[in-house]
Amino acid sequence: MSSETTAQKRAPRLTVDDVLNHRRRAGWSRRVLYVFLLAAMAWSLNVTVIQDTDWARMGSLGNVLGAAGRFAGIDFALFPTLIAPMLETFMIACLGTLVGVIICIPAAWFGAQNVTPFKPITYPLARLAMTLSRSIHEIVWALFFVSAVGLGALAGVLALAVRSVGFIAKMSAEAIEDIDPGPVEAIRATGGNAFQVMLYGVLPQVLPQILSVIVFEWEINIRRSAVLGLVGAGGLGLVFFRQMNTFNYHGVTSVIIAILLLISAGELVSYYARKAVI
Amino acid sequence: MAMPLLPDRPGGGNVLPRLAGTSRSDIVAWKDAGMAILEVRNLRARYTVSGPEILKGISFNVEADDFFAIIGPSGAGKSTLIRCINRLVEPTAGEILFFDREITKLPRRELRLLRRDIGMIFQEFNLIDRMSVMDNVLSGRLGYTGTLRSLFRLFPREDIQRALELLDRVGLIDHVDKRADALSGGQRQRVGIARALMQDPKLLLVDEPTSALDPKISREVMALIKQMANEFKVPCLCNIHDVQLAMEFCNKTIGLQDGIKMFDGPTETMNKGNLEKIYAMEVL
Repeated sequence: MSSETTAQKRAPRLTVDDVLNHRRRAGWSRRVLYVFLLAAMAWSLNVTVIQDTDWARMGSLGNVLGAAGRFAGIDFALFPTLIAPMLETFMIACLGTLVGVIICIPAAWFGAQNVTPFKPITYPLARLAMTLSRSIHEIVWALFFVSAVGLGALAGVLALAVRSVGFIAKMSAEAIEDIDPGPVEAIRATGGNAFQVMLYGVLPQVLPQILSVIVFEWEINIRRSAVLGLVGAGGLGLVFFRQMNTFNYHGVTSVIIAILLLISAGELVSYYARKAVI
Repeated sequence: MAMPLLPDRPGGGNVLPRLAGTSRSDIVAWKDAGMAILEVRNLRARYTVSGPEILKGISFNVEADDFFAIIGPSGAGKSTLIRCINRLVEPTAGEILFFDREITKLPRRELRLLRRDIGMIFQEFNLIDRMSVMDNVLSGRLGYTGTLRSLFRLFPREDIQRALELLDRVGLIDHVDKRADALSGGQRQRVGIARALMQDPKLLLVDEPTSALDPKISREVMALIKQMANEFKVPCLCNIHDVQLAMEFCNKTIGLQDGIKMFDGPTETMNKGNLEKIYAMEVL
């Protein structure tokens, strides 16, 4: 290889061979990674599906299709009795979101670095609460509140409220951290107190974002509240559970349709509501 | 003149009791006595304990009818200096006397009462974009407004009256209900001016009021601030990097360079030599 080319004069420390060698080595490590990933997939398939399934009980393909086919069909007689649980599910979602938003006010305030009142304590406290809220599933929260306040919609409302805090407060706190400090400075300069600074300097800047997050969370809460009944926390889930237990598979399909209708309605409202606030 | 001078608020009409505030008659008394309204003595400031010192012992006096320009290169400490005066930045040493009252050690509540006597106009206007022009101007009264009233934006009638008069004076009476972010740069700064005057300030701090504006609008905005300061008899302290504007509008000038005062005197005594000294770092 000629050492007189201008390219080599300009970059004398890196030759073509260096580049090629580097690529070859990178290629090898990539191949090793692929083999490792394949092996890991094969292993998990074996453990979780092949060994863990009761193949004898499943029977032939015909049996499987037959069992699934039992759900094909709708129990129309059930629909009138679904209206009240649908409304209950909807109310659980609304109230759960509302209570969640109220809990979010201190959580977001404490959890935003730029406004938290006493950073070494309040900031980690709020962040911990948010993580706790998000890392526990709503069904688990519902189980917890069912044992605390008993069966019924109240447990569902509390479960959704606590579950909602994680997301709403986190997004709100991050919105607060991203504000323009100028208006805050201006309100402080007029002699406004800490509350007035929040109300005039911070809140108007983050309100559209926070409202959008709340509507989004409300939509998700409709989904969540539809299954909370499975553990006795009210709503459509409870009817679902009853149909399943009485082997009324067409009734199960009816409940699923009702859930679908409710969630679609929620999505529609949420879409327009979020468009309106932004 | 079309509009009457805005009247003093009889008895203040304040929600908060007047603990530390000064009244308009104080300015007259101070002026008659030939005393400085603001005395800054050996002011020092740094943002972090180990960080560089931004202000290295600044002293100057502001009298009742002064319109002070603070000039100097970027990073000289102009913004820090005026923010020390209403303590948006805490000075590390030195004294600031406002109407003969030492203010660098005021507790929080007294500090808020001090701040409402000092209006501030900002480089980036610092309006609340999603609020109306009227609400932005009214927010200048927050220091006089109770927390509960401010929650529901229940400003007293006389405040709204004052806001309307001020908006008329700055030429924005047709934009009262517009959102602040719907206005042009020059109009936004006029809202900022109205908000500062809403406080009935006894001192006006002005931080680079024109650097976000084009030259023609800059001149208009400076003229408006100057006119308002004269009319309301408020002394002004104005950071400005445009020497031309400073010479045109300000009667006194402080030149800062790297946290040290290089010049202090009537603007007309400033010459090329002074300027070169102030801007030495840029010449190099």
